[in-house]
Amino acid sequence: MAEYIDQVDREARKRALKVFQETFKMLYDQIARGEPPYMMLPKRTLANTIYDEKRKLLLLGPEKLKRSFLDLNESKKFMQTLLMAKIIYEALERDEYPTIRDLYYRGKHTIIYREPGGRRHEENTWDEQRESDAVIRDIEVLTGLLREEMLILSKEKGKVVGNMRIRSGGDVIDLSKMGHGAYAIEPTPDLIEFVDVDAEYVLVVEKDAVFQQLHRIGFWRRHKAILITSAGQPDRATRRFVRRLSEELKLPVYILTDADPYGWYIYSVFKIGSITLSYESERLATPSARFIGVSMTDIFGYGKKKPYLSEKERRNYIIKAKDADIKRAYELMNYKWFQTKKWQIEIKIFLDKKSKLEIEALTSKGLKFLADKYLPEKIETGDWIE
Amino acid sequence: MPRRQQQLESFRSMTPSQFFYEYREVAGFGSPSRALYQTVRELVENALDATDVHGILPDIYIAIEREPENPNYYRVTVEDNGIGIQPQHVPYAFGQVLYSSKYRLRQARGRFGLGAKMAILYGQIRTGKPVEVYTSPQGSNKIYFFRIKIDIQRNRPIVLTRAEFPNPSGWHGTRVSVVVEGDWPRARSRIHTYIQRTAIAAPYANIVFRDPDNRIVIYRRRITKLPPIPREVKPHPHGVDIELLKQLIAKTNAKTLLEFMVEAFQGVGKKTAEAFLEYAKLDKNLDPRTLDDKKLEYLARKLREYPKFRAPSADALSPFGPEIIEAGLRAILEPEFVTAVTRRPKAYEGHPFIVEVGIAYGGKIPPMNEPMLLRYANKIPLLYDEKADVAWKVVDPRNFDWKAYLVNFPAPIAVLTHIASTKVPYKGVGKESVADVPEIENELRNALREAARRLRDYLLKKKREEEAKKRIITFMKYTPEVASSLATILKDMGVREEDVRKMLLNIMKKKLGIEDDKFHKLIQGLEVSIEE
Ligand SMILES: Nc1ncnc2c1ncn2[C@@H]1O[C@H](COP(=O)(O)OP(=O)(O)OP(=O)(O)O)[C@@H](O)[C@H]1O
Ligand SMILES: [Mg+2]
Repeated sequence: MAEYIDQVDREARKRALKVFQETFKMLYDQIARGEPPYMMLPKRTLANTIYDEKRKLLLLGPEKLKRSFLDLNESKKFMQTLLMAKIIYEALERDEYPTIRDLYYRGKHTIIYREPGGRRHEENTWDEQRESDAVIRDIEVLTGLLREEMLILSKEKGKVVGNMRIRSGGDVIDLSKMGHGAYAIEPTPDLIEFVDVDAEYVLVVEKDAVFQQLHRIGFWRRHKAILITSAGQPDRATRRFVRRLSEELKLPVYILTDADPYGWYIYSVFKIGSITLSYESERLATPSARFIGVSMTDIFGYGKKKPYLSEKERRNYIIKAKDADIKRAYELMNYKWFQTKKWQIEIKIFLDKKSKLEIEALTSKGLKFLADKYLPEKIETGDWIE
Repeated sequence: MPRRQQQLESFRSMTPSQFFYEYREVAGFGSPSRALYQTVRELVENALDATDVHGILPDIYIAIEREPENPNYYRVTVEDNGIGIQPQHVPYAFGQVLYSSKYRLRQARGRFGLGAKMAILYGQIRTGKPVEVYTSPQGSNKIYFFRIKIDIQRNRPIVLTRAEFPNPSGWHGTRVSVVVEGDWPRARSRIHTYIQRTAIAAPYANIVFRDPDNRIVIYRRRITKLPPIPREVKPHPHGVDIELLKQLIAKTNAKTLLEFMVEAFQGVGKKTAEAFLEYAKLDKNLDPRTLDDKKLEYLARKLREYPKFRAPSADALSPFGPEIIEAGLRAILEPEFVTAVTRRPKAYEGHPFIVEVGIAYGGKIPPMNEPMLLRYANKIPLLYDEKADVAWKVVDPRNFDWKAYLVNFPAPIAVLTHIASTKVPYKGVGKESVADVPEIENELRNALREAARRLRDYLLKKKREEEAKKRIITFMKYTPEVASSLATILKDMGVREEDVRKMLLNIMKKKLGIEDDKFHKLIQGLEVSIEE
């Protein structure tokens, strides 16, 4: 089996193993000195997330959390962190590629203990994957290694097609020859090599269905685009892949989402990073990404700008915003990175009209309209939001 | 001119038995259910007075049986192993209201010379049955038997039967049996509670109770220590009034005021008497018999005023003592913690008294919104009129800051209060609640604080220990994973799981700051295993 393993992978493993040893040696040294062992972790909370206005990135703040084994409230988390470290370490040693779900199952044991006096208790090391996922993030910040660098896989979600060739695991793949299908963006996008590319921009579509429609009518071929979908909230691999396209190939990136607060947030995750993964923004965010639509001004017009939808179309396509949407909109309004003039106008129109719209509405108006009028015209006239 | 209509009032006198026949409810004989309860009480209290007050470990047998002829008639029988009664006193002790051997200055449950007679009188007027008494005084080779009724008009005993039997086994004690109209279903819980509370306060007694449902409850003797035997004392000068002075003077042989003072009062020697008479500006050689009412009023007032008399003697009192209270609470309530405080003797209006407070916490006591209050006065459990009692006033969560003692209601807590005195200030002859005497209230509060402080110390310690235990369990159960992880990641450096475990254990011990043996006790029996 060994000969099939990529040299790149092997290097990554060696490095990760070493970092683990160094990190956990510090804990062991505390114990050997007779001190209660503890680790310092950056706090992954909204309060400790800082928006760097200059670099336009969401970054982890300076606040640290002391996780001590002998602290009743932290003891279990401490154990979980070490348990997870052990499982990852073993997987690295054994040349495995566990997914986060694998890690969840591998670490899920029942601790049985009997109190003095005989009462028997059972407790699981963790119950839900949410818990083990959180510990993985803790290990990432503790070791400074990203999960990709620990060769941990996650489900592939993002897809790409376009006039481009890449090398992955020794194979050259032509992204223009995927038939009706598409290339699934692998969980370790850093191991991809860009061979050649012939495109003018990147279009990321939130909705998988719209991605497929645009693909089938040959949108990317006609408009010289790399077409990508995140299929909802983008995973890390898709974000990293988009970032590399932007950074290494200098392609402009346009993002197309539903016209609602969730769509806006997806855009902002691509552009500046997410709150839960702010420690990775530097690697994952694409600060130059542009929000192409669907914008509130596309629907309702604004000032001199004429709407893309007629009165009648609006009546048919618009959906009434739910309370949750409104609440989310108010939250976004307070995020620093949404406090630009254009975004505040978007949010205001939304709160004013209490209406949202799905991208599909534009394909209902006509797939051609979306592909050959709406998108090209907006790109040409610079009708996007930064 | 018409003759003025003359309305003539008619006068007659009443004997004590007539009076209490008319007003039997003031003595607790108002209704059949209350009367049944009161009957049990009066007989049981007499039985205890005949035993523990005289240094005898009590064996008490109580039975309530339904009379075959009428379902509402109950025969109440109480037998004790006490001092018994001399046969010549028996007819009066049971057949004449206000006849007692306890009109003395020493603590006893009985006080009015009324209790047994009320039960007998009440039984007689409804059921027509006489009281039956077997008794054998200590050292007597005979057992006496009487059947007695009360001549209520004349307050005289009517002896229906008198018999004597040989006493070969040397039994001593008394067995009293009366038939009263009662309401067992309604009195049941009170009577059981009463007997239980009696047992709490008399852990040195064997008490057997058979009820009409044929339930038998046995309270076994837990300790053989009796409370101190109370000794009769002379009156204290602070408790004196004109009438008492007259009585004392009538009895005395003293020729002078000085002699009288020394002879008639407790705690008064020649020196004190002289100092007092000087203070009162009275001639010490005066013959006390020559004092007229005006002089007597003056003397009584000065006696009450004079601040330098010795405090009233507590010799006449018989508190339980902490040992008995704790044993009683522990045996009956099965709490996890118990403590008791017996305060030093104090006095009000010349009457010595001692306050005692016991606290039982946790264990089998259920959490309640208020403390469970077990009131006692001269060792009698008080069940009725709780909220009117001075003891309730003191323990009431609205008046006492329980939180400061780490007690947060609902809490599993019982408070026992005991007031022992030569004169307990009852609110009525039914002996159900104690009046608000400031001196007593203060002492109750002091005693409660003292006991509650010990409870707080206990709760604090327990909390600390529980926390330590919780910590240890937490750390212990996670230690295997932590050790295994470090041993896996650092195996190249020779780190071994077993060593890490040991080191972690030591760190834990040091951090928790508990002694070696305690720590081992805590972790002993704590097993941790992991199921993959
Ligand atoms: N079981 C008994 N053993 C010995 N003496 C008894 C017993 N029962 C009653 N006596 C005597 O009979 C007397 C009268 O009892 P009774 O209950 O009527 O009045 P008391 O106990 O003196 O006062 P109280 O009215 O407060 O009960 C008592 O003082 C006591 O001398
Ligand atoms: Mg009596």
